[in-house]
Amino acid sequence: MKIAVAGKGGSGKTTLAATLARLLARGHHSVLAVDGDSNPNLGVSLGLAAAEAGSWPTLPKELLAERTGPDGTRSSGLSISVADVVARFGVVGPDGVRLLVMGRVAHAGAG
Amino acid sequence: MCRVHATVRGLIGEIVAGSEDVTVVDMEAGLEHLSRGTVRHVDTVLAVLEPYYRSLETGARVVELARELGIARVLVVVNKVRDEADRQAMDEFCRGRGLPLAAVVPHDPSVLDADRGGGSLLDHAPEAPSVQAIRQLAERLASGAFDPAPAG
Repeated sequence: MKIAVAGKGGSGKTTLAATLARLLARGHHSVLAVDGDSNPNLGVSLGLAAAEAGSWPTLPKELLAERTGPDGTRSSGLSISVADVVARFGVVGPDGVRLLVMGRVAHAGAG
Repeated sequence: MCRVHATVRGLIGEIVAGSEDVTVVDMEAGLEHLSRGTVRHVDTVLAVLEPYYRSLETGARVVELARELGIARVLVVVNKVRDEADRQAMDEFCRGRGLPLAAVVPHDPSVLDADRGGGSLLDHAPEAPSVQAIRQLAERLASGAFDPAPAG
C-alpha cells in the first residue's frame, strides 16, 4: 500500500499522515513515512523531538542519477537501493515508523 | 518547474516505487504538486479537505486529477467536521459529485493541543475522537475495504 496524503496547508494533512502511519505500524505493517512538504513537520507530528530535527540526515540530490539507455533515451533512477537510502538517511520514530525528510534536499541544493 | 523541486519529486517517486514497506507520503501543500512524477507509483491518494465550499471544490479537482493519473484508490477525508449538519452536508456534496468519502474526522481540540505542545496527536490524546476516526480509516485501508471492485 502506497499512500499519498494531499491537501492545502492548514487542512490537517500532516497530522492525518503521521497518525495514519503510526496506526498502520501498530497494525504490524512496516511503515515508511516520507515528508515531501518543503515546510517539513511530519517528524514532529510523528512524535520525534523537534529539538533534534536539525541533526536529521539530509538527502543528497546526487541520489537521483541520470542514465542514458542504449537507445539514447535518458531516465533517472536512484544511485543506491531504497533500503540503503532508508538505512543511511532515515530516522526511526515511534512505533518503528521510519521517516525520510525530502524537503531537506531543497535546502541542500538551493545554496 | 524549479530544478530542486524536480529533484525532490523524482526522488519521492523512486523511493515510493522501490520501497517494500507501506509508504505514507505527506505531499507538498497545494493541488499543483499532485504531479505525475511524485504520484505515479502511488496506489492511494487521500485528499484531506475541510468542510467548506472552496475546500471541497479543490478536493473535487484533486480527485479528478488523481483519477486522470490512473491512481487506483482516490479517496476523500473531510477533516474538522463540527456537527451532524456539517457531516450531512459533506455526505451530500460527495455523493452529488461522485467523490468517495472514506473518513469524516471530527473537529477536535486535542489536535490543536498536540500542535501547541509540538508533539504527536497519538501520544497526546490516544483516545481522542479524531484519533478514533483515523484508526477506523487505517483499519479500512489495511483490510482492503477501498480496493476497486474486480472487473466482471
